[in-house]
Amino acid sequence: MSLAGSGLVLAVAVASLACLAVLALPARFRPAAAGAGAALAGAGGLVSGIAMLSGRTFTVALPGALPLSGLEFTAGRLSGYFVAVTGAVAIPAGVYAIGYARHAGTSRSACVFLPLFAVSMLLVPVSATAATLLLCWELMALTSLLLVLAEHRRRPEVAEAGRWYAVMTHLGFACILAGLMLTGGGSLAAGRHLSPALAGTVFVLALIGFGSKAGAVPLHAWLPRAHPEAPSHVSALMSAAMVNMGVYGIVRTGFGLLGGGARWWWLLVMLLGVVSSLYGILQAAVSSDLKRLLGYSTTENMGLVLTGVGAAGLFEDSGHRMLAGLALAAALLHVAGHAAFKTLLFLSAGSAAQRAGTRDLDALGGLRAGMPATTAAFGWGALAASALPPGTAFVSEWLLVQALIHGLRSGGTIGAVVLPAAVAAVALTAGLAVATFVKAFGTGFLARPRSDGAARATEAPASMLAGMGLAAAACALLALLPGIVLPALARAAGVAAGPAVTGLVTLRLSGAAGELSPLLLTLALLAVMMAAAGCLRALPGRRARRAARLWDCGSGPLTARMEYTATSFAEPLQRVFDDVLAPETDIDVTHLDEARYLVTAVQYRRMVPDRIEHRLYRPVLAAVRAWGTAGRRLAPGSVHRYLGYGFCAVTVLLIVLAVTR
Amino acid sequence: MLKLWRKIRAHGRVAEPPVPGRRGPLAAGLRGSVQIRHVDAGSCGGCEVEVGTAFGPVYDAERYGARMVASPRHADALLVTGVVTRNMAGPLRRTYDAVPAPRLVVAVGDCARDCGMLAGAYGVSGAVRDVLPVNAEIPGCPPRPEDIVAAIREMTGR
Repeated sequence: MSLAGSGLVLAVAVASLACLAVLALPARFRPAAAGAGAALAGAGGLVSGIAMLSGRTFTVALPGALPLSGLEFTAGRLSGYFVAVTGAVAIPAGVYAIGYARHAGTSRSACVFLPLFAVSMLLVPVSATAATLLLCWELMALTSLLLVLAEHRRRPEVAEAGRWYAVMTHLGFACILAGLMLTGGGSLAAGRHLSPALAGTVFVLALIGFGSKAGAVPLHAWLPRAHPEAPSHVSALMSAAMVNMGVYGIVRTGFGLLGGGARWWWLLVMLLGVVSSLYGILQAAVSSDLKRLLGYSTTENMGLVLTGVGAAGLFEDSGHRMLAGLALAAALLHVAGHAAFKTLLFLSAGSAAQRAGTRDLDALGGLRAGMPATTAAFGWGALAASALPPGTAFVSEWLLVQALIHGLRSGGTIGAVVLPAAVAAVALTAGLAVATFVKAFGTGFLARPRSDGAARATEAPASMLAGMGLAAAACALLALLPGIVLPALARAAGVAAGPAVTGLVTLRLSGAAGELSPLLLTLALLAVMMAAAGCLRALPGRRARRAARLWDCGSGPLTARMEYTATSFAEPLQRVFDDVLAPETDIDVTHLDEARYLVTAVQYRRMVPDRIEHRLYRPVLAAVRAWGTAGRRLAPGSVHRYLGYGFCAVTVLLIVLAVTR
Repeated sequence: MLKLWRKIRAHGRVAEPPVPGRRGPLAAGLRGSVQIRHVDAGSCGGCEVEVGTAFGPVYDAERYGARMVASPRHADALLVTGVVTRNMAGPLRRTYDAVPAPRLVVAVGDCARDCGMLAGAYGVSGAVRDVLPVNAEIPGCPPRPEDIVAAIREMTGR
């Protein structure tokens, strides 16, 4: 067996051993065993993924493992890319879990499923048959669900989030199952010939199933609930690795299994992507819960990825393979970049929330003094997420915009309408992302503490910092030298006409004008900043300096209540997008008993509910409830009636058999 | 509308003729441009009306290079009106501390100069000069806008 296969076998073996160790060891050692198991499984996955990308192949068939169909795993370049990304996310998350779980929860169930979850995500992309894929998919969904529920005793919201997640992930599973059954074969290999209508149905079903896992609007409702309530290393794994499986599924089904397809498929994917990115970042911008904000940001980033995938499909359909390769490379690079910075953000947000005891941005602040390393990590992650140089997302979003702009000339009538709108949407998303992360970092970590918990927060333990450090290094690598993953991208995108982007230090688009060197750009930025700082330091040196207290309008010391909060920072944005967000405002005025012209208290509450969730899910939930209530009349608890049901059923069956025989 | 245009054409400028300026020693270091922060240390409001008039369209003190600003951090000079009450003595001192050097203090009105009719009242901490070093004083209760503009021209040197 090649390196690719043995890496995965090693990952499975390590994860199984870690599970056994967690079950056997006392509570003190459980987090360490689980974390180390997940990290080592991740390392195995990373090695295996890199080997698969460099062309090593393997096939593992276990005919007896599952009745009727058996299990079969095989290597592929696209699979290798997703295995490598998942493995790379599992390493820092596993290391982080060692320190985090020691303070959060050391119960067996909270620890034992962590390595299993990591390894099931590694197995999803290498599944060769539909049955194997569905099994691994379900394993991934169940283990992540149990991990989300780890803190359900402490907080009642966790149970509600778990219910949402369980229902939505299984609806998605049902759609994928139906879609794969319609293809009429077990294998996931390409080259199936289906009629256009059937292929379209399969694709739409797969898009619903995989899209709900990727958190695409309007199937995102579970994501901003489940991701914040999970322990932070699990949030990182879910948000940085598990959502990628949805993208993998869409790419694999659309380009691989169904081999391209009609133009409307990819327009649909692109529409989903654009709507997800805009809606996700808008909700993130007005959210004041730190981890919920990051959850919505995941929806936004997956939306950008889907925009790239949709554009690649459109270009492929119109015969522009180079542009298709460029768009798909941008999407895949964004997958890796998002994995890196979302891991970093969730890990650092998790340690901030754990140490300060709250996730509410309006109660955080001032963590810079107590937690300098965590603050630096979150700051670097926020920069990486906000599509500004030298950030990680900047490179991939630049490539995506380049692909969309260069596609204008070649997309035909539909392209001329859709692509400029997509460019505008990506640009608006990038701008709002900057505002969102300035808010998250500025109000959450800088300024003065707004609560006692934030004031008393102390630095996280070494293993958590090590996890964050690994993720930060990955962010820096992808931000400064994205050239080193380009060959892998080109192979994963499977472009026949050669790589669409080349170069190690300077990225050059082949077949289109445009180049970018993130490293040199960063060096130039650094040089300018240092020159400016040097000038500022040198110039006023000749004048007399005087220290004066902070200007506070002459009245007493400044307090934390005077600071910009996350809510007030987002207020102008919320006002601009009032029609989209539809915030709800409650004002309760309490009057004095004696005179209703005198006011004793005014209570003001403002919420920004998820509008799509309200409009789309409420009627469905109400209908399901009505059905359930109606169905209850059939089963009132009377034994006689149940016996009657049985008697009727047997009689009808006998009559049917008598008539038809 | 046409009537209004005709009236404007017939009347021309209605601003007061420029007040003869005094080139004072205060202008050195500020180079013809003075940013002013106004502090009401306990005024009845009369001096504010006159300061407002001095910066209004009729006297237009801004044409001599002076400008009202919203923060002492941006200011070169403080324009203090009214007696310094006990509650305002501390904030006035802090406002002065917040002004970058070189800085000037102008006491506007009789109350700011010597407490005027409020001298000896229980809530009064003193005149402006008892709290801060004063560079120029403008007498009057309330002071005439011409006098305020003259003092400003002394500061700007224009």
